[in-house]
Amino acid sequence: MSCYTVLCYKNEYTMITPQFTDEAVKDILRRITGLDLQKVFRPIKQELKAPTYKLMTDEQLEQAVALAKEQAEKLLQMPPVLPERTPISDVLSEDRVLEGMDSAKYVFTDITYNIPHRERFIVVREPTGTLRKATWEERDRLIQVYFPKEVRKISPPHIFKEENLKMVFSQDQHEHVLNLCLVQFEPDSSEYIKVHTATYEDLEKHDKYDLLRSTRHFGGLAWYLVKARRIDGLIVDMLKRQLLQDAVSLVRLFHMVHPDTESAQEAANKEATNIDLLTIYAQKESQRSGYIELALQAYKQPAAEALAA
Amino acid sequence: MAASMQLIGNLLCRITPSILQPLRPFQSLQRIPGQPCLRTSPFMLPSHSFCNEASAEKAAKPKVVTSRYKDRPWDYLESEEYIEKYGTSSVWTGYRRNHKGGIPPQKTRKTCIRGVKVCGNPCPICRDPNIIVHHQNVKLLKQFINSETGIVYDPTRTGICMKQQKLLVKAVGTAKDHGFLTFQIPYVHFSEQDFSSSHDAVGKTPPPPSLSAGDSWYKWYGEIIPDETEVAKVKKIYADYLK
Repeated sequence: MSCYTVLCYKNEYTMITPQFTDEAVKDILRRITGLDLQKVFRPIKQELKAPTYKLMTDEQLEQAVALAKEQAEKLLQMPPVLPERTPISDVLSEDRVLEGMDSAKYVFTDITYNIPHRERFIVVREPTGTLRKATWEERDRLIQVYFPKEVRKISPPHIFKEENLKMVFSQDQHEHVLNLCLVQFEPDSSEYIKVHTATYEDLEKHDKYDLLRSTRHFGGLAWYLVKARRIDGLIVDMLKRQLLQDAVSLVRLFHMVHPDTESAQEAANKEATNIDLLTIYAQKESQRSGYIELALQAYKQPAAEALAA
Repeated sequence: MAASMQLIGNLLCRITPSILQPLRPFQSLQRIPGQPCLRTSPFMLPSHSFCNEASAEKAAKPKVVTSRYKDRPWDYLESEEYIEKYGTSSVWTGYRRNHKGGIPPQKTRKTCIRGVKVCGNPCPICRDPNIIVHHQNVKLLKQFINSETGIVYDPTRTGICMKQQKLLVKAVGTAKDHGFLTFQIPYVHFSEQDFSSSHDAVGKTPPPPSLSAGDSWYKWYGEIIPDETEVAKVKKIYADYLK
């Protein structure tokens, strides 16, 4: 299922907003994330082995670097962004005969090995006799009991509580929290969305976007900011680091997702590219337009100096 | 003269052994690595005990040493006291276990402190009462973790007793759980079609037709006619339990 935006006249064509899964959107987000091989392949904490040395010709070295880039792109696969799952509240049967038989709930789980977890039947018999389907939290807990995944705990770790999250953010460990969240929760669960929202909000508040650059979480961050219409901080950060093309791609993505804004319509009319796009966005849409214009000038200055020299 | 003083000293040592005990914790406080140990000689005791025997007996009740940093153990690692004692090296560098023979036992001692009694040559954590193993005391915990592999060092390497090693491992686990320490998380692979909730197990199913007052439990209950003799037999067996 692919949806394409139609940047045309509103009354003639129906607008279909692009989703996270669209190829165009993914392509832009992948380009914005960047590919810093030194950061992607930084040494991880593992059992120490003696180093291996290889003698290579230039060609072999280039081949090895290309292979590394492919591997890095696989590692930078973006985790899915899904809407929150609807809670399960289906009652299968009401058996008053069984009321008061026991004081505990009985949970029946289907532990057939070859079925996907989303098709697994898990039902709960309450002490009142009702037989109902298990809620999402109960499902996740029980699937972890019978089919344990490594590092995932049965009850979520204390790091996801408010105070601990604040402490972790103050130590700039956002990537660690997001990785833990990916391991612990399902992508459509409410805790996953809450943790991600809290992390993205903190990053936006303190302008710490560079922590997630060249990680798999950058796409999610950019998508969240674009949806919330708060991409000013990110654009300023990109311009400070001399990443003009990334800023331009981000603004283009913004226009794709919100085609009804003034800047999107003006950009479509003028068919602007690169710096003009940014200036149009800065004038029309952003709250920190002064900042963006300053940053643009600061970007143009070294280019002008290089031309003059 | 010297011999008689020694005899008196030995006698008093035997009579008031409990007075000697409180000395040891204070000895360990004063012991600074690199400097000779200041052992308070037993000869100082006799005059003390002759003068105030009653108060000495009162003072003989041993006190458990509580640290100033009991509520905030991480403050100690920033204090001057700590820097003077240990500098930039870890708490366990330079500590050497006492054991017979060339190969040390593969387990360190069970514990250094039993009640109020402290052993000779206590381990790096027990010898300094201000060092408290706590899950928020990240600087101290990191000294016992290999920075490259993320594994806690073996107690035979650091020299700490088994009780403190257990507490340390537990504290490291809690710290990782609460986010004070980071660790390597394995890569999670997401495949494309995993997240639909259309299957009956997780999706909506129509509610069952509920029983109204007059209906029997199963539809076929009404159609079956029970055999009278069988029913009488069963009733006879369970006569005591029937209402």
